[in-house]
Amino acid sequence: MSRCQAVARPLARQLRQQCAIRPFTTGAARAAAEVQQQQQSASSSVPPPAQPSALDLDPNSVLPEFEAELIKAGKMPVGSRRRRVAMRTTANVPFEQLPYQAFQEARAILAADRQEKVAKIQEELVKIAALESKDASLVKGGQSMKDTKLASLRRYVEQLKIQADINDPLVKKRFEDGLGDMNKPIYRHYAERKWRSYDYRLITQRIKQFNIVPDVLPKLDPVADVQLYFRHSKVAPGAVVDSLVSEHPPRLRVQVFDAGSRLVSLVVLDADVPDADNDAFSKRCHFLAANIPLSPDSTSLPLSRITAEDQLAVPWLAPVSQKGAPYHRLGVYLLQQKPGAKVDVAQLKQLYAARDGFSLKSFRDKFSLTPVGFNMFRSVWDENTADVMARHGIPGADVEFRPARVHSLKPPVKPRGWEAKRQGPAYRHLWKYTKRIKGLSNGRGWTKRR
Amino acid sequence: MTTTTPRLFSTTSSSLARKLPTPASAPKAARRNRSAPKSENFNRIRTLRRNMFSPAPPPLRMARQRYLRHWTIHRAWMLFRRKQHEAIEKERSRMHAGMYNACEELRKTVGPGSRGEGYLYRVAMEKKGVYGLEGVPIEYARFQTDSPAKEPWNHDWKR
Repeated sequence: MSRCQAVARPLARQLRQQCAIRPFTTGAARAAAEVQQQQQSASSSVPPPAQPSALDLDPNSVLPEFEAELIKAGKMPVGSRRRRVAMRTTANVPFEQLPYQAFQEARAILAADRQEKVAKIQEELVKIAALESKDASLVKGGQSMKDTKLASLRRYVEQLKIQADINDPLVKKRFEDGLGDMNKPIYRHYAERKWRSYDYRLITQRIKQFNIVPDVLPKLDPVADVQLYFRHSKVAPGAVVDSLVSEHPPRLRVQVFDAGSRLVSLVVLDADVPDADNDAFSKRCHFLAANIPLSPDSTSLPLSRITAEDQLAVPWLAPVSQKGAPYHRLGVYLLQQKPGAKVDVAQLKQLYAARDGFSLKSFRDKFSLTPVGFNMFRSVWDENTADVMARHGIPGADVEFRPARVHSLKPPVKPRGWEAKRQGPAYRHLWKYTKRIKGLSNGRGWTKRR
Repeated sequence: MTTTTPRLFSTTSSSLARKLPTPASAPKAARRNRSAPKSENFNRIRTLRRNMFSPAPPPLRMARQRYLRHWTIHRAWMLFRRKQHEAIEKERSRMHAGMYNACEELRKTVGPGSRGEGYLYRVAMEKKGVYGLEGVPIEYARFQTDSPAKEPWNHDWKR
């Protein structure tokens, strides 16, 4: 051992002992000191146990001395002790004031951008007002050009309104929680984006795969979200619904993505009613209502509540399918009326009271409506259908459809192949090879019935 | 003068004669191969090898508020980048437009003295010295062909 080491050894030993005691953080040091003090005091006299406060009983902010109590009660403390102490004092900091540097810098950038967008909106509004007050003869291109310009300016303003709010985390959070005010363009934008990402694709797929487009309407591109609820539970588009469930009218959840209130007509149409006499299928109207007010913030539309004289034209008829018939496609069609135009419900009642042979295309053309929303479900014969039909006086529960046998027009084909050629007595010496033909015979003899 | 060298039975010269492989020589050669001279791109290739076939990093897992903060920062970063790009783009197009206008002005001027219209423009468009003093672009150094030559460059060539 060198001289230097010999001198330093006792010093190092002392230091090492101190280091073993010294903890890493100041907070823990204080806690350790407290523990030491408590131990000292415990040796002298037993202190009275402190009363736990509400914060101590919360697993997010429990102090070490109350942990055991909480664990006994079945709640495990969350996170580290350090985090729990921090949570005691910082639980009430609002989200936008959370002291994270990058977050605050980002908020500053986004706020500046929002200011820019708002300034631009004001600029555009001034432009719109100036153009509106200008006489059409002074605008190059006349009245039509003035209208085009106004429309494009307004579209731009709408776009800017969305862009001003699209970077706000609180707006995003509020939309995700379902608390968004659908009268504001940003929430409608978010809702539409969400709808287009999945539900719209699903609906268009159903339209395609169930051949709604050539069978019921020549063209159908939904722009509103329509969801179907039977007995408080959502029904996926195209699902087969039990006839007992669909006996009562469903509730619709309709979300439109453009501003303002409008009147809509609602049609529930069965596109597969078997017509045995003509060997064909026809259509039947199961529900028809018109003049239903709809706006982005009023989404619930229970069909059973539509009873007003100027709204309900044809009441709900339970969708049923006869035994052996293929599934019935029941489509829910939402048609938007022209702004401010009302449909004469008395005329509807007179026209469509018979229900059978309802043509949606003719209805659309007659009252100049635009299809905006679509959803569908299916109905098949099940164990409850006979009861439902009896309850509602629908005839046909005792009828069973059977597929007509279609015989082939080709003549029967004689057996072919090497074995078939050598079945006769001329080939007696080959019979041990030719009498075992798959599907015709086996070792014990001829199996095919003739 | 005659020297008595031990004559071999074979007439093949000794340098061409087959040598018996000694057990020590074979692994020695292999080791020599292993420590082959590193190429100049050795480090780059090693980095590529390491990173190309490694699995993707795990997805970010965040709670609600943490995710919202992350989203805010991400949006701000994207906005910042876009603004930067737009500013650069604007500056470049401004500079390009300035050059274009200057050239247009040169093309319209009737040149100094007895020079005709567009003389200055033609002079300005000359590419002298762009490829070095008295240089020509390397593309003109050989005939333009569809496929590269068998020998890409004759390094031994002397005038």
